[in-house]
Amino acid sequence: MVLWIVLAVLTAVVAAVLIAPLMKARQPVLAGPEDGAAVYRDQLREIDRDLSEGLIGAQEADYARAEIGRRLLAIAGKSDATDASVVKAGPGGRHRLALSAILLCLPAVGLCLYLMLGSPGLPDQPLEARLANPGNNIALLIAKAERHLAQNPNDGAGWDLLAPIYFRSQRLADAENAYRRAIALLGESPERLAGLGETLVAGRDGVVTADALAAFERAVALNRNNMRARFYVALGLEQAGRTPEALKAFQAIAADSPPGAAWTQLVAEHIAKNGGAPAAATKAPGNPGADDIAAAQQLSATDRQQMIAGMVESLAARLKDDPNNIEGWLRLVRSYKVLGRDESAGEALKTGLKTFPPTGEEGRRLLALAREMGLSLEGISQ
Amino acid sequence: MIIEIGHYALVLSLATSLLLSVLPLIGARRQDAALMALAPIGSVTLFGLVALSFAALTWAYAVSDFSVANVWENSHSLMPLVYKLSGVWGNHEGSMLLWLLILVLFSAMVAVFGRNLPDSLRATVLSVQAWIGTAFLLFILLTSNPFVRLNPAPAEGQDLNPVLQDPGLAVHPPLLYLGYVGFSVCFSFAIAALIEGRIDAAWARWVRPWTLAAWTFLTAGIAMGSYWAYYELGWGGWWFWDPVENASFMPWLAGTALLHSALVMEKREALKVWTVLLAILTFSLSLLGTFLVRSGVLTSVHAFATDPTRGTFILAILSFFVGGAFALYAWRAPELKSGGLFAPISREGALVLNNLILTVSTATVLIGTLYPLVLETLTGEKISVGAPFFNLSFGLLMIPLLIAVPFGPLLAWKRGDLLGALQRLYLVAGLSLVAGFVLFYLEHGGPVMAGLGLALGFFLMLGALADLWFRSGFGKLAFSVAFARFKGLPRSAFGTALAHFGLGVTVLGIVAVTTFETETVVEMKQGQTVTVGGYSLVFDGLREAVGPNFTEERGHFTVSRAGVAVADVWSSKRIYTARRMPTTEAGILTFGFSQLYVSLGDPMADGGIVVRIWWKPWILCIWGGALVMMVGGFVSLSDRRLRVGAPSRRAKPVKALMEPAE
Repeated sequence: MVLWIVLAVLTAVVAAVLIAPLMKARQPVLAGPEDGAAVYRDQLREIDRDLSEGLIGAQEADYARAEIGRRLLAIAGKSDATDASVVKAGPGGRHRLALSAILLCLPAVGLCLYLMLGSPGLPDQPLEARLANPGNNIALLIAKAERHLAQNPNDGAGWDLLAPIYFRSQRLADAENAYRRAIALLGESPERLAGLGETLVAGRDGVVTADALAAFERAVALNRNNMRARFYVALGLEQAGRTPEALKAFQAIAADSPPGAAWTQLVAEHIAKNGGAPAAATKAPGNPGADDIAAAQQLSATDRQQMIAGMVESLAARLKDDPNNIEGWLRLVRSYKVLGRDESAGEALKTGLKTFPPTGEEGRRLLALAREMGLSLEGISQ
Repeated sequence: MIIEIGHYALVLSLATSLLLSVLPLIGARRQDAALMALAPIGSVTLFGLVALSFAALTWAYAVSDFSVANVWENSHSLMPLVYKLSGVWGNHEGSMLLWLLILVLFSAMVAVFGRNLPDSLRATVLSVQAWIGTAFLLFILLTSNPFVRLNPAPAEGQDLNPVLQDPGLAVHPPLLYLGYVGFSVCFSFAIAALIEGRIDAAWARWVRPWTLAAWTFLTAGIAMGSYWAYYELGWGGWWFWDPVENASFMPWLAGTALLHSALVMEKREALKVWTVLLAILTFSLSLLGTFLVRSGVLTSVHAFATDPTRGTFILAILSFFVGGAFALYAWRAPELKSGGLFAPISREGALVLNNLILTVSTATVLIGTLYPLVLETLTGEKISVGAPFFNLSFGLLMIPLLIAVPFGPLLAWKRGDLLGALQRLYLVAGLSLVAGFVLFYLEHGGPVMAGLGLALGFFLMLGALADLWFRSGFGKLAFSVAFARFKGLPRSAFGTALAHFGLGVTVLGIVAVTTFETETVVEMKQGQTVTVGGYSLVFDGLREAVGPNFTEERGHFTVSRAGVAVADVWSSKRIYTARRMPTTEAGILTFGFSQLYVSLGDPMADGGIVVRIWWKPWILCIWGGALVMMVGGFVSLSDRRLRVGAPSRRAKPVKALMEPAE
């Protein structure tokens, strides 16, 4: 509301300023023949100076004086003519058309174009103010933590807190950096090392690299009960083709795990994969339901991604048959991005925009999501 | 709310500008004082509105309001404040808004300082300015709106292009635009003269300060841009004949011609029609430059084809104004009476020669810039017209012009005595030759032509001084008399001498650098020494450092001469974190007018790093000369004669005219 009042006042002020000259009763003003004459008289003086400096010959100076004199005369003649046709002036009456043009044009053009282009409902959002009151906007919380850490780069606890958040937002490079800073500042801990290892693995599409393996091994050395680290060490052995060792490691995990642990199923799969007999299942076979979902949440990032990937593919297939589902498209784009498959996300975005053009409400939601997720909008006309 | 007010102010500017395009013009045709009086007050209002809008955008940048798409795309909350602010025009939308701001600033200045203009001329000029303003307002609002909002707003921006994170960005574009857009005033005056059918010496005198101001700023802007490219890009070059550079150089050439022809017109009322044509041409080239840079046509003809909205829009503006202006010119110019007579060898004649050469060289640059574009559009073949073409064609054209420069001011008006001028310049020419060859021997080596080139530079410099010498009558009159006359010379005489002197300094710098510069590319390890230009540089090793939004590797060099350490210099390679984009920060050491330029290359596998070191003798003369030209421009601008118009109605001296612009 305040905005509209300000805009109205602004329009009124501009209109008033523009109308003022029309309302004033003016003295008729002569077009200034004086002006030209002053210039010419000055030129006459200049010729004298040029002559004394040798910049013009005596004869040429005479000619030049004559030329200027002729112009002075011409102007004098014109000035008589202008006197005859005194400049017209007059208040109100004559300018009804101009007045109405001003009074119509300003609000009409201003309002129409602004309603077309502007976003009157959006308040200003200076970053400082948003950071002071971030609510539960993850991106803002991250930004806030980043600024804090930019000023206090030695705040180990800050890095420790931020690292898993980066990991969950798929900012793997930042996550790795944060884990390393936290380890450097606060020392090694099984959680930090395992987190760093997991970040490195996620960054290499699930391959347990030498770097990552070293981190997991140190985590295990610090705490033998860190099952996550032990699982990855075993996975590393499996990927390296050292099947017997991997089998032994997975069996050891199964033996050391408390009954009913969330990862039992997964470990059992790997034991089977490496040629071992499944350990006695501690979990009664039952119908997959809430338990499975809970299990999925406890799974390692790699396996969780595999599970999600399956769900995403089925969603993509569904949308192919029935594209008229904005929530579906939003979920698909978000999922692809979370899985780190930017290209697929871009494809999905484009396909989705075909059904929901960017000009519409739904299209805008898609674009906003893409922007929020940092997707490249190249080639998409907004 | 501030942003939305800024947005609305811009929309309201369009409405105001539309009114100003029509009403005062009608007023001028019907001699209606009230409608004409609308022009100055309306122009000032328009400036207020655009300034309000610009301030709102600047505020959004200052507080990092990422709900504004333009801020999100081109800023980062951790950038130093000065780059946040200069980032306002470090992108397409913002720079167009700056363009517009300067356009309406000039209109407002014509309104305020133009009180000595005849009412109808002023109203017409301001109306024509408003046409240009309307066109660019439409362009900004419809294709390049900087006030587009994002909802929800992102939490962090995408950072400003690292190359632009430099103090150069704060200075170069505003200066360049003050020059570019300043010529719009000359254009509007020319169009107004054609509409009014009135053009005389007084007209030239009113136009001259604006031409002079625009030319001065353009000179400064181009020189600043050249120096910025020199130290930022890390290639050690100072002019690349790049289309973007040419886009600013063409208006400068045409503007220089305009400056000189306006002089003839003001003094002798000759070359009227030609001056009007040049005024139109100069601003047309400014518009063309804007089109080339802003439409994306330069990056690739195809990039232009895929998103042609902006390009087509500017092309439409360009065709409307250039086509319209030339049509009007063809229709009305024959009605303008031609003026004074002069012999071929005279001051006027010299200025005509200047104009001829300058326009031909403008055409040369224009062809070299546009030919590749046209060829690619027609045949799809990609060629680049580079330095060899320009150096040969443009360079050859410049030599006779440069030789003629010292003669111009020495020739008398109407009918000059070439022999007399030659005789007076004998001594100057001889001295210049000696000085040229002395400098040549000091720097030893290089082709013999260089000696002549250097002599040409000295000839320009000494010739400029000789002009003042002879005009004061030193050597002919008693010293005290001559000195009194020297003090009494008009400011414009000093302006001319300074500008020509500066040109000589620039020529000297260009010839010296191209001839004597040395380039050394070596792979260096810590502790190694290399000798360049008589200085030996010891590489002390690399060090990591962290800036507000970048990390860098800095190499340290100790510079010594004859075994004595004289200076040290850092040269670094930066990575800007947000965009993951590397830049080089060259280390530059200045010795007198010469510079040592150290740039880091790629690290080698064995721990060494490639280092490029240039010795650039006399290079500062290039920009120093431009600086002297600029000072000449300001001195000339302060000439009291420019203020002559209608003394009784004069409000403020023209000198004050520059102040709001700074």
